[in-house]
Amino acid sequence: MSYVIAGYVICLSVLAAYAGWLVARRRRLTRAVALLDDADPDVSAPPAPVADPGR
Amino acid sequence: MKPASVRALGVAALLTTAATVWLGLWVTPPDRVQGTLVRLLYLHPPVAWVALYLAFGLAALSSLLYLWRRTRSLFWDRLAASCVEVGVVFNVLTLVTGSLWGRPTWGVWWTWTARLTSTALLLVLFLGYLALRRVPAEPEVRAKRCAVAALVAFVDVPIVHFSVEWWQTLHQSATVLNPELHVRVHGSMGWTLLLGFIALTLVFAWLVVVRYQVEVLSDRVGDEELEVSLAERQAEGADDALPVGAMAKPTPEPAGGPR
Repeated sequence: MSYVIAGYVICLSVLAAYAGWLVARRRRLTRAVALLDDADPDVSAPPAPVADPGR
Repeated sequence: MKPASVRALGVAALLTTAATVWLGLWVTPPDRVQGTLVRLLYLHPPVAWVALYLAFGLAALSSLLYLWRRTRSLFWDRLAASCVEVGVVFNVLTLVTGSLWGRPTWGVWWTWTARLTSTALLLVLFLGYLALRRVPAEPEVRAKRCAVAALVAFVDVPIVHFSVEWWQTLHQSATVLNPELHVRVHGSMGWTLLLGFIALTLVFAWLVVVRYQVEVLSDRVGDEELEVSLAERQAEGADDALPVGAMAKPTPEPAGGPR
């Protein structure tokens, strides 16, 4: 039975570790893309409407 | 793919995997010949199915679609890369679970028979693919190079599949994907094995979706970082070339604007 338990533990923990690593990598890259977008805003986008200071 | 769909796929993968483990370890009876070792077989064939046929098959198909001019798109290259990386993980698990089953059954952890050797060779070939992806090159050049590599590596998949028919080997012949497509597993054992195939297919699908998102994001970050550093380099070069006074006081335009 120890071989069976070892098989299940190894299989599930490797898959879980790989999935966790992928999700962490995706989160880090999403943050990096957001930072790059903030640093270099899209100049082609139309300007946001400005409230009339007279009112 | 929408984040909610990816999450739903992940939840489905998690639930079916948990059900497979519960059925495999606690519900199904021990085998008359193999005893409790049969429980490893609810994992080993599904893992091998994902690695050999699903992951590497999809990678080869995507590579073919990339090489074909009409369908050429970086989408296929990224999909192939994602499938190969996930497939390599499943290929390692195929060898590990097979070895854990082989030790008490055959008396050895490893033997150089056709099925085992060709599966190990497959792992080496696709590790080569992943190494090739890390060689710096233009995205199109890298994609073309890797597509050819994936197709060359995929030649080993039918060899792995038919190795038990073509050569004398310790490994048993196919129980599920046999030429007659007659599944020789019955009752709760058969249903658990089927659920194992479904569960690991869902796990594979979720992993490939997330890996694909990582590939897209890392391409974007890589490109933008390169552009930012090039712009900085150019700005530095311009600073060096201009006299100090020109930097401090920009020349005012003559009245009336440029003529």
